[in-house]
Amino acid sequence: MFFPKEYLASCSSVLLVCAFGASLLADEPKPKPENTISVQLTEPVPPQKFAIPPKFWITDITDRSGNPQPLLVYKDRGGIFLDRQPTLIVREALEQSLKAANLLATEANSADLTLRIYLFHFGLAEGSALDFFGKVEFTAIVKNAKTGESQEVKAAGTSIAKSAMKKKNLQKNVEEDIEESLKDAIRNFLRGQQMKDTVSELMKNADVVPATPAPATPPQPKQ
Amino acid sequence: MRNRLAILIAILLAAWVAASAKEKDAPPLYKTAEAKHFTQTEGVELSPAFSDYFYAELRNELKKSKLAGDVVGEGEAVDDADAKDSIVIVGTITEYKKGNVVTSSLIGFGVGLRSLKMDADVQRRSDKQNLCTMHIHVKIEPRWDEKMMAKFAAQQVVKDMKKELKPQGQ
Repeated sequence: MFFPKEYLASCSSVLLVCAFGASLLADEPKPKPENTISVQLTEPVPPQKFAIPPKFWITDITDRSGNPQPLLVYKDRGGIFLDRQPTLIVREALEQSLKAANLLATEANSADLTLRIYLFHFGLAEGSALDFFGKVEFTAIVKNAKTGESQEVKAAGTSIAKSAMKKKNLQKNVEEDIEESLKDAIRNFLRGQQMKDTVSELMKNADVVPATPAPATPPQPKQ
Repeated sequence: MRNRLAILIAILLAAWVAASAKEKDAPPLYKTAEAKHFTQTEGVELSPAFSDYFYAELRNELKKSKLAGDVVGEGEAVDDADAKDSIVIVGTITEYKKGNVVTSSLIGFGVGLRSLKMDADVQRRSDKQNLCTMHIHVKIEPRWDEKMMAKFAAQQVVKDMKKELKPQGQ
């Protein structure tokens, strides 16, 4: 039984492509219990003292990082995955801190200021080969629920942690690094001068109702 | 003779323990320290990621140095009462040379190295008074990543700060 040369060539090229694809799929890390980390605030971040303490309500958190795999924080050595979506982790951290300071409204209708969060970065960023560079970056649109007036507040948190040889230590360091950068970002947001100015500005105008509230434009990611 | 040697070693050991304990217990010179993102002069071609990484490294080194009780993030509010005991670090990257691997390998002796120059000022938060000015110059192998340069530059900034600010605080 003979096959033409062209037929054999095309068959072998198809096989090669299949083998290459299979090898790529085999290298793709998969989430397992042993390579999944849980990132959360160890303790709530105390916010700054406001002249008129407002009640906040988080309406929505949108992921604007453009990351196709938001749960995968470290690709090498079998990968390290988050157990929850970054948007959920940031929401929980913010709610935890606001609740501890009695600044979280019980429901949306009772809130003075609403927060719409746009998450631009969560996890590890490109650092030197010697350490891990954790980075959490988001922007919040703070809106007065009564007047509709809104302002933008930016927050960023960074952290540097040592790399490790053992997978177990590596995972621990990555977890601590992201936790630290999350804490730093929440602190930067709740204790920032920008937040202080925004709250005092929006709360000052709380009794003045404008004719038509301006719609809030979502911020664009950094180029 | 043996007893004398033992006594001498014991005295030296006690002095060393006391000195290290004093250093550990020494209160920080400042209540808070804030590092700002360094600006770049025209012509400096560094990636935006470099600026973020250098900022993170500088904060990390400041925390390690224990110059301040708290290293706050950029733009964080500080109590008015603490402002006079707080510092802000601002700076500008004035020059960056990529270096040349061939020149570095063939000639050596520091030729063709990747180099970074920056000017940094430490200001008192309350009145913006300049406490010290530093001129940092870091050189690394051209094969190394620019992030390594950020790491060394941050270490150098904090080292110089410690040297400049310690006598004023004491």
